[in-house]
Amino acid sequence: MNTPDSKRLGLPNLGLGVGLRSKHFVHLMQNDPVVDWFEIISENYMNNFGYARHVLAHVAGLRPIVMHGVSMSIGSTDSLNLDYLRQLKELADEVKPVWISDHLCWTGVAHLNTHDLLPLPLTLESLHHVAERVNRVQDILQRPLILENPSTYMEFEASSLHEWEFMTELVAKTGCGLLLDVNNVFVSGHNHNFDPEFYIRNIPHKAVVQIHIAGPTDCDQYYLDTHDQPVPTPVWHLYRLAQELTGGVSTLLEWDANIPEYPDLVAEVNKAREVLLGNFPDVPVYRTRLADQVSNPVDHQMQTTHE
Amino acid sequence: MSELANIQKWLTSIIVKPGSINDKIIMADQHYGLRHTEVIKPAPNFSSGEKIGIYARGYVLRLMECMSAEYPALQHLLGKELFETFVKAYLVHSPPSSPDLYNLGANFAAFLKASQPKNADSNMFDLPVEVTLLERAIAEVSRCKGLEGTSQETETDDTVLYLFNTSTIRSSPCLMLLKLQFPLAGFVRSVQRGEEATTPLTGESFTAISRKDYIIHMHDMETWQWQFLKALQDTNDYMSAINSTADVCGMANSTVMADLMLWIPVALKFGYIYRDDNQVN
Repeated sequence: MNTPDSKRLGLPNLGLGVGLRSKHFVHLMQNDPVVDWFEIISENYMNNFGYARHVLAHVAGLRPIVMHGVSMSIGSTDSLNLDYLRQLKELADEVKPVWISDHLCWTGVAHLNTHDLLPLPLTLESLHHVAERVNRVQDILQRPLILENPSTYMEFEASSLHEWEFMTELVAKTGCGLLLDVNNVFVSGHNHNFDPEFYIRNIPHKAVVQIHIAGPTDCDQYYLDTHDQPVPTPVWHLYRLAQELTGGVSTLLEWDANIPEYPDLVAEVNKAREVLLGNFPDVPVYRTRLADQVSNPVDHQMQTTHE
Repeated sequence: MSELANIQKWLTSIIVKPGSINDKIIMADQHYGLRHTEVIKPAPNFSSGEKIGIYARGYVLRLMECMSAEYPALQHLLGKELFETFVKAYLVHSPPSSPDLYNLGANFAAFLKASQPKNADSNMFDLPVEVTLLERAIAEVSRCKGLEGTSQETETDDTVLYLFNTSTIRSSPCLMLLKLQFPLAGFVRSVQRGEEATTPLTGESFTAISRKDYIIHMHDMETWQWQFLKALQDTNDYMSAINSTADVCGMANSTVMADLMLWIPVALKFGYIYRDDNQVN
């Protein structure tokens, strides 16, 4: 066992940050970033030596960077992708992120990659499997891995642990950190009929390194993690609770589709300051009956630079 | 096989295979010896199958958005419905295996080419294939290792010193050359800019794509210019490239050299070539 005994694994509270997205590249090359730090999607830069990498180098010279991955597939029963991990480490050696995170999920098996964050059966078999892989990844990266709770739309009959119990055991077995996505807790809580506050109260708060906030979509029968709306009031309440319980950790606003102009993005993440003072924005969960909503949108990674 | 591995193969097969969600679930249940109602918890008004369907539907929608982002001109050419039909077929034929989303569309042009009707008597079926080739080339040029930030990055200047030291002229590491049956550079550029884009008529085209200062440049070129760049790319030698160009294009060496004197500044400006000032002569 390798239970972390220091707050946030000794990692700093970076303040309020946003995701580095291609829509804002030109703005960021000409203006002060304003926010305290940036999170990048690691895979977007691992084989990219074009303008995006140039902007990243510029921004990294101004603000701390955190690398957030979507393809480690830590829960997959395929072998660990050592080539992927080598490229991830190479990028980290260059970018020098404050930490590296990914998701408690799997993205595919039999060498297929769905580019989705698929849920695990929360069993002891899964726990031992993931813990063994987290330990190996931490050895390769030579730093603690920070794992995020995903939004989920189904639960397995075989699950014998609640997600908060699984995360707690995983931290105890590996010493990994947690990226607590309070929007994902809100979405999964709605979809699976559990109390999101109970979830947040029952994770190991000293292991929480970072919080994600985002705006989901109410698709009538379920909530979807669309990252395309302002943060709704209930998520802000969970955010405040999480900050109280953790004693204050880095906050990151995720906005990956229908991305607003940069000043509007900054205004949204800055609402966190008012929330901590008890002033909550009055924002309902965005509602639509359209069937073409996409969870975990990734097309923002595909932008090229033209004349 | 462990229970976890079996469940992961079961769910992956449902997500990536074509067909109705109910048919896919039935097939996966049979193949992997599972019953989806015993694997996925249902809700009072939301069945196990409907929950699995969220992931299966999201898979196609998410990757469709990525293909639309990489191939906007192709989508403009085909229209949304036909484009999506081809993409869905492509995802069935080549489900993604790489963690890098940029690898998703790498084989799309070859897939479209293979889908052409046999004995087609018109090269119009090649138009979408070639648009795809060009858009893929743009994506690759935008991400490859270039000269930016290196000592070999050529500053644009007004001197003509390069004319007296041509041995240091090299093709850019970002340069991609396409020989096409349609002049597509203007068409693709218009779509990128949101301008009216007229479907190009057939006509042999020699296209170059490269990057300088992180900006993508592409042009339909004169034959001799394209041949020169191709030869320079192949031989890495200025004089050999001139000889090859003259030979292929039926031009006198002196004519190629004279035309290059006028064109080299343009080729430098757009990053098709650069001066390797670190070259030891």
